[in-house]
Amino acid sequence: MKKRIIIPLAVIMAHFLVITGIIAGGFTRDESVSLDKDAQASDRFTGILERDITLRVLENDTALRQGYFEELLNAFNAEYEQYGIRAVDANMDQYLDLENDGPFGFGPDVLYQANDRIMRYALGRHVQPLPIEQLDCYPHIEQKAWDAYKMTVSGQDYYLAAPVNIQGPFLFYRKSLLPSPDIIESWNALYKFSQERREEGKFGYMKSLIDVYYSIGFLFSYGGYMYGDNNTNMEDIGLARNGAERGAGVLRQLASVMDERCIDFTITQISYSQFANGNFFATMTTPDVYTLFVDELMAVGFTREEAVAEIGIADVPKLPKSGDLSEENPELMPSRMMGGVNGYAISSYTKYPNAALAFVNFATSYDMVMLRNEILGIIPARKDAAENLGELAQTINNHLVEGNIVVMPSLMGQVWTPAETFFTDLANDPFRRDGDRKFTTLESKRLALERLSGQIYDAIHTLK
Amino acid sequence: MSLLKNCNAYVIASMLLMGAGQILYGQWVKGLLYLALQVTGIIFFINYGAAMIAGFITLGTVEGNAWYGIDGDNSVTMLITGLFAIIILIMYFVLYVSNIKSAYESQKLAASGKKPQGIIEDIKELADKKLYKTVLLVPIIGVCIFSVLPIVFMILVAFTNFGGDTVPPALVDWTGFESFKRVLTLGTFAPTFIKIFGWNILWAVLATAFGYLGGLGLALLFNKKCVKGKVFWRAFPILAYAVPGFISLIGFRFMFAAGGPINQMIVNNGGDVILFLGLNSTWLSRGIGLLVNTWLTVPTSMLLATGILANMNKDTFEAAEIDGAGPVRQFVSLTLPFVLFATTPVLITNFMLNFNNFGIFFFLRGGFISEGYFLASDTDLLINWLFRLSIDNNYYSIGAVISLIIFLITSIVSLDVYLRSDAYKKEDIYR
Repeated sequence: MKKRIIIPLAVIMAHFLVITGIIAGGFTRDESVSLDKDAQASDRFTGILERDITLRVLENDTALRQGYFEELLNAFNAEYEQYGIRAVDANMDQYLDLENDGPFGFGPDVLYQANDRIMRYALGRHVQPLPIEQLDCYPHIEQKAWDAYKMTVSGQDYYLAAPVNIQGPFLFYRKSLLPSPDIIESWNALYKFSQERREEGKFGYMKSLIDVYYSIGFLFSYGGYMYGDNNTNMEDIGLARNGAERGAGVLRQLASVMDERCIDFTITQISYSQFANGNFFATMTTPDVYTLFVDELMAVGFTREEAVAEIGIADVPKLPKSGDLSEENPELMPSRMMGGVNGYAISSYTKYPNAALAFVNFATSYDMVMLRNEILGIIPARKDAAENLGELAQTINNHLVEGNIVVMPSLMGQVWTPAETFFTDLANDPFRRDGDRKFTTLESKRLALERLSGQIYDAIHTLK
Repeated sequence: MSLLKNCNAYVIASMLLMGAGQILYGQWVKGLLYLALQVTGIIFFINYGAAMIAGFITLGTVEGNAWYGIDGDNSVTMLITGLFAIIILIMYFVLYVSNIKSAYESQKLAASGKKPQGIIEDIKELADKKLYKTVLLVPIIGVCIFSVLPIVFMILVAFTNFGGDTVPPALVDWTGFESFKRVLTLGTFAPTFIKIFGWNILWAVLATAFGYLGGLGLALLFNKKCVKGKVFWRAFPILAYAVPGFISLIGFRFMFAAGGPINQMIVNNGGDVILFLGLNSTWLSRGIGLLVNTWLTVPTSMLLATGILANMNKDTFEAAEIDGAGPVRQFVSLTLPFVLFATTPVLITNFMLNFNNFGIFFFLRGGFISEGYFLASDTDLLINWLFRLSIDNNYYSIGAVISLIIFLITSIVSLDVYLRSDAYKKEDIYR
């Protein structure tokens, strides 16, 4: 009986052994792939243009809508037709998923993105370091703008994109409602003017204070920072450092001249129409929404020319060193606001690095940057272009150089929600009953900022 | 065991080489089909499957670096393809066993003097006596691919360190129960889990009860003879149902906002602004959430109850009335058991939907972090917390652990309630 079972069992076992053997073979693979120590990340840029190819370029939606991208493609294609290089719209969402699409060949060859996005791709090596000295724009762009794309790996600095424009907030105001120019020079004057407007049943400065992108700059202005060592040391969260609580105090005072709508995003949604009907005097935003102000003014009866003439765009007002907006004749200092640098990067997965570099070189040329400014109203990162465009463009460039525009770090994912919570609590404070107010002293604000920093630290590190 | 004891050389041949026994019994098509499948399987494993399974175990050994053109291993892809290869391997063994059983069946038929069944007979059988197998094959494959595979993938992710900085091209590793340990023991994490879990249970029970009883109440009201224009009144809740849920939620959010119409009315009447959904308005926000959810779910319950009430036997109520039962007694002893009997599965579904109601507080209140909570607000349900951890903060493995916990809770509660219900135990009570 036993013999009878042994034979079929042995056969089955033999079969299983064969299958196991085959599967075990899967573990033996060539793992000799390793990094050549002498290899350079920029070795791919040989300078020899790939011929008869199509470059897929990703631009932002505004450039597409306003027609700049078409102009850029036409100009580039005309110049590089002789090499058989043709650039086309990559035809994908501007918030692309290069991490997942790139390795499978679906991403663009060249991409225009904000620095935080590009640097996030850089962490996964999804964008290629550029030989920036080979670009014509290299000497015309401040080192600070290049630094927005700098990554240090094993002691070596890499630059991942070429800067095109500097992003930063401006004060947008109604020129006809401005009683005197000094109102927009300092937050103290704007605060006082806002108080007067409130007495008339209208509003002066209005902004959703829970909007982290704008509010966090008030903490930076008084010495706070996001991460230590120029935003590279995530062990050091600096939002409560160096007296940043004074910035929180400024925000609290600003909330008191608004109303409860500053505690949520209501103001952001209605600011264009309220600005147009004269209910709001001023707000802070980025230049890319300029056309929305024009449209709303036209909706209330302005002609386009009148609307353009009515909209005042000014540098962000200066802050009092004391952190007290009610102070008369304060000593002033520049505001430091969150901003960024947008530019062109090259995907690591491109098959045509040299043609892609030629495109980046072309798109960052003086002529194209000036055209971009003309159509899109951007502030160029090129010094020569900024000089030709006047005071505001130069001021923004200077802000970047002087550190008054703080380039947004790439890792902000864990910052938004805790920071929004803090600013909500802070903006809420003036509207609480007397005994319920939480942030009446600098110490209470500092402790709240410490708590915020702790939350961000926990979010980054606890589950790492 | 009897197969192993009694099998002959032909069956043993099938054990060695799939289809060999069948071929020896003259079942050429079937035998060659088995053989072809075995050969295909082995070729697949030699070329791909073995490497896929190895990848599943190691989750990759070479880290990619696109700067230098090193493709490297993608741990997540390896996890999925490895899982796929394991499923193919299981299918191979199922096929192997079926091949032996088939050969043994042929042996038995041959021993009894009958001719082993040919492929034509097999096909006829699959269209007749074994039609259930033919019909169920496609749905089973569909369920495996679209339901089982993602669930198993999610379960497996819970046992890795996928997330945070460890996302491709970085290599992911198996970490066993480490993520479970963190969720349940980590100082900053476990208290949040317990608080959210408690609120989630309370929310699911209350939201289900409010929606169900509200719908039943309305249905009973509209069922009364004294109500005039029933069709007109019934249309109103249906209108609320017809509007997409998230649009209603955004509408409610605006209504309850600091600058919203409700506060404007309060201020116009001399009151102070109330931050209904504010940072510190824990129970007010929760109450509004319940109210809004009731608004959104009552129409479904009402429609359901209306249909069920129409099927109730009126004689029973007349008899009860003659016996002296009042309206409350009639509701408790007759209406409620009848409606509950018919709607227990719906009630369970509603409980599960409410337990995992992602949209309600996500759209109504937005993103806050409440004091004493780790990356969560005091109105967050487990599903919202899961979203924050896995999408906002990239903690995929921790998110998978929470998903698994949600899955276990909802399935255990649902099964338990269903198995205890009359709808399961007394199936023919109302027949």
